[in-house]
Amino acid sequence: MAISIKNFRQNFLRLVPLILLIFICISEFHTQFYLWEIFSFNLQFIIIYYWILRDPSILGYGFVFLCGIINDVVLSLPLGTSALSYLFVTLVAAYVRNATVRPTIFTDWFTFIFAVVIGNLISFYLINNFTEMNTGYTSVFYNTLFTFILYPFFWGIFELYKKTISLRLHD
Amino acid sequence: MSTSRDDFGIAIRSALLQKGTRQKFSLFVLILISLLIFILDASNLKPIKVLRSIFNDGIYRISAISSSPIKFSSATKDFFVNHIFLYKENEELKEEIKKLKKEQLSSTYLQTENKQLQEIIKLEKETSFTSVGAKILLDKNSPYLNSVIINKGGNSGIKMGMPVLSGGNLVGRIVEVNFLSSRILLLNDLNSRIPVMISPNGDQAILTGIGKDKPILEYLPKNFEFNSESKVYTSGKDGVLSSGIPVGQVTFDGNRIAAMLYSDPNQIVLVNVILQKETDNEAN
Repeated sequence: MAISIKNFRQNFLRLVPLILLIFICISEFHTQFYLWEIFSFNLQFIIIYYWILRDPSILGYGFVFLCGIINDVVLSLPLGTSALSYLFVTLVAAYVRNATVRPTIFTDWFTFIFAVVIGNLISFYLINNFTEMNTGYTSVFYNTLFTFILYPFFWGIFELYKKTISLRLHD
Repeated sequence: MSTSRDDFGIAIRSALLQKGTRQKFSLFVLILISLLIFILDASNLKPIKVLRSIFNDGIYRISAISSSPIKFSSATKDFFVNHIFLYKENEELKEEIKKLKKEQLSSTYLQTENKQLQEIIKLEKETSFTSVGAKILLDKNSPYLNSVIINKGGNSGIKMGMPVLSGGNLVGRIVEVNFLSSRILLLNDLNSRIPVMISPNGDQAILTGIGKDKPILEYLPKNFEFNSESKVYTSGKDGVLSSGIPVGQVTFDGNRIAAMLYSDPNQIVLVNVILQKETDNEAN
């Protein structure tokens, strides 16, 4: 009985990053603020990049795709736009995981800039060229910038969380 | 050099095609599926539209449920903030009532005069609307779109382009209609363009959203001047929106002339979608 409760707790804790990602995509969780008009960031990119890089067993590629589709519906973007940008962020993270032997916050942070730029560029290109929506260069630029700046902060939180649940790096 | 290129190729190929211990799909397959979905959705085929509409309705309902903790915390915060400023607000409201009572006297006279003048020039009198009330289901901003989702759709007679009011003031128009839900494009969105008229001089302009809380006024006449009495109304020149719907107050936003909206797009909870105009005779 004690073992099964422990297993349940362990499994639930491992599901938290995925639950958080789905919750951010599907709910009214705001990462775009009017109080300081230029401030917005993409928390989904940060979650996807960190967990695919550090422990892909926590965040399946299929779920990343599904979250992208949900995000497109909620934000009224053409279906597949966010899914593609999330999957390219995943691709950069998976590449960095394969290419680096000993990851540090600096290597993570430096390579994250490529992921976030590629992710936002894909969304921007698809929306500008395949829909009638107008998008502002500046808002996308600030979104990219603040997502990049905030990465170490969330990196710290996720590292603490990972240590707390004693995850083992594998894959 | 060639070795490092090989390493890059191997790492990319591995990232694209390799399935991890608990991964069920490779990235390559998922990227292909996403592309296929994107092409199908962008093709605007009717069956795909219907499918997406059903999908939208489902996701919006789940979104509304999952957003309830956020809505509850926001409502709690507003409750406390409102109570803190209640005394001050009460004093301000008393002052406002005094002012409005004075204005009401002159307004009654102006209404009578306006009615007489309208009869003289035999204008079509549009004084009321048939509308449907709706509640905001989901309010999520992104760098790409400022819009909200309401809980009424095609089943309530809502159609594309219909104007949406909050507290009698324009807040946006319908840009997506599903069977049980619709999406409102807010006036402050980058894609929003509304023909407006500025009182008291009747200057024409276009109210353009710039992604910030105050949309700007474009194509104003040369030597345009405004004061605290200058108000923005819809002109109805696009043939879609009715004329005379209050929008906001003319103000400065930096060095640009903008409109301070009467209904804050970030604070709306209940809205009315204007289904059709009624003339005075119908309204009576």
